[in-house]
Amino acid sequence: MVTRPKRNFVIAGVGAAVFLLGSSAVERLWERFQGSARLVSVEEVPDSAECIRPVSEDAPVSVSSTHNLFSDFGEPSVEAQESGPTVNFDRPPARILRDTAPIYSSVAVDDKRNEVFLQDNNLWSIRVFSRLDNAKPGTPPTEARRVIVGNNTEVQFNSCVYIDPFNGDVYSVENDIGDVIVTFQHDATGDAKPIRKLHVTHRAYAMAMDEQNQEFFVSVQHPPQVAVYRRGAEGDEKPKRLLIGEKTQLSDSHGMAIDTRRKLLFVDNWGNIADDNVPGSGRFGPPSITVYRLEANGDEAPLRIIQGPKTGLDWPGAMSVDVDTGDLYVANDMGQDLIVFHSGDEGDVAPARTIKGPHTGLSYPVGIFADTQNKEVWATNIGNSTATVYPLMANGDVAPLRIIRSAEEGKQSLRFGKTQALAYDAIREQILVPN
Amino acid sequence: MHGFAFDNMHNEIVVTSPLAQAVLTFNGDAHGEEPPIRVIQGPHTQIDGPPNLGNDRVSIDPANDEIYVPAVPSSVLVFDRMANGDVAPKRVLHGPNTGFDEPGIRGMATVAIDPVHNVLVVNHRNSLLIFDRTASGNAKPLRVITGPKSGVASISSFQVYAPKGWIVSAMQGGSIGVWSVNDNGDVPPRWKIPVNQLTGYTASGIDLDPAHKEMLLSCAGQRSRPRDGIANAVLTFSWPEIF
Repeated sequence: MVTRPKRNFVIAGVGAAVFLLGSSAVERLWERFQGSARLVSVEEVPDSAECIRPVSEDAPVSVSSTHNLFSDFGEPSVEAQESGPTVNFDRPPARILRDTAPIYSSVAVDDKRNEVFLQDNNLWSIRVFSRLDNAKPGTPPTEARRVIVGNNTEVQFNSCVYIDPFNGDVYSVENDIGDVIVTFQHDATGDAKPIRKLHVTHRAYAMAMDEQNQEFFVSVQHPPQVAVYRRGAEGDEKPKRLLIGEKTQLSDSHGMAIDTRRKLLFVDNWGNIADDNVPGSGRFGPPSITVYRLEANGDEAPLRIIQGPKTGLDWPGAMSVDVDTGDLYVANDMGQDLIVFHSGDEGDVAPARTIKGPHTGLSYPVGIFADTQNKEVWATNIGNSTATVYPLMANGDVAPLRIIRSAEEGKQSLRFGKTQALAYDAIREQILVPN
Repeated sequence: MHGFAFDNMHNEIVVTSPLAQAVLTFNGDAHGEEPPIRVIQGPHTQIDGPPNLGNDRVSIDPANDEIYVPAVPSSVLVFDRMANGDVAPKRVLHGPNTGFDEPGIRGMATVAIDPVHNVLVVNHRNSLLIFDRTASGNAKPLRVITGPKSGVASISSFQVYAPKGWIVSAMQGGSIGVWSVNDNGDVPPRWKIPVNQLTGYTASGIDLDPAHKEMLLSCAGQRSRPRDGIANAVLTFSWPEIF
């Protein structure tokens, strides 16, 4: 009988923050892997004391002056051996840490067809649900009506889904690797090929459509910019105009929303600033929402900026506008809340409304959609494989009206977004994973 | 974030912030929105970022108190571990003799240090360039492992197991191979695990756990959908033979 080593896992976020995923969550995941039919294969470590040393939970975590690299190795230095034929080891992994459930990064509602589209950043899929689906306590995960997934879809590292309200076309923005926006027919399902592909600048994050002017907006993290394309643009078509430059005060731009009635463009910024042409020019600024004319172009200054400690902005993600009121809805990832600003807000202003608290079910919300027709606001939660919906005017610790849940009840996701790197903390026996 | 490091000797986490052209050091037990204890940032640092993917990786040599940052054009910046603020690198490895192709190392290269055999290994464009650890300026690599027999491939981060001088790095086809720091030329690895063949994943990051004789891999889809469709994974392989 092999004793599984006792481990904790640390998940590090992009940038500076580091989150600790406690051993209990990982153990729940482990137990789930062990106990039911699954896509995941987790193999026991070979029964060899040479391979695995069981680790006591009570093992001290300390750093002393005598603790050094070589004592960690515990062996004397040995010169590398002579070369020989390659020895191949076809052994399976001792352990696999991964999340089998979707992790939703974006949400869009199609009011005409009464459907909700969720962008899944873990299985690289787009899942379509009835708008009125509701996973009540004690019920199994919500069944999707259809799923767009597979190699032909080219959906990967996806950060935004948008539904054309007229023809129902489904747009998916990719944030890494492929640098494309792919478009599907509304009823696409399975391993569908996109009907259009538009090559965009690396690190595209969000999009919004101005139906009146037949153009759509794409925000790009870095170099921070907003590109405006002709509706229907595809291939290598260039943007009609580009908002970019120092005067814009864009910085590591993420979420974006437009108010076609008031002719405004909103962009949220994380505050990482640098001139790419000047090494050493980098600096950190506070997060912000910059507000522009809808037709802003070139190196154009914002009309106003929402910024400061009262705003509560903390890694803001997607944004959405209620064109009836002008209210701006923000998914405030690290703030663990949804915050709402009035259209004319400026400076260091507190949100007009905040949805936050244990009853909300929010967990690292990054996607948001203001469904003005049904007077609801949707959020996607990276932390628990759910999308939650609230009354449009909700404020405070409000329970969701309905929940779309794609994992078992109470499950905390691994919050894996892109597990490109890792590091091992031998002191605490923890794995650190940035996303 | 494509690369970062944990310093087991000093209990610190070192991460890059490419978009702000900074290297941040945190306490090893940092949690939540905890500020860094040191920040290397400013005009003297020579640290760049996108679009050339500078400052995309970072490596630590705890034994010699140094931080390594690949930068553009075609250079490796070496900082004192305790550097804080607008500090110039203590060494810069750069020049045509280094073997770093122009337009350069582009930050996509990655570095590992062997303080026992006193070498610096750079994984650059399907080659492992092995330098004297203190190489500076336009230095030539001591040895280069590259070629079809070697199968060396690029990767976001790799490791050297210093007590035995083993380089643990990526191979073409998604395998992980092990070479000696004394290897030179088109040398096949001593050992390999065909990770992609076994799991469908291609590793992008590697770390080692000598105490448990394990290799840990991060995998993030890497331009292809893993066969079971789950893009993100951390794999742990038992590999006592290399420790």
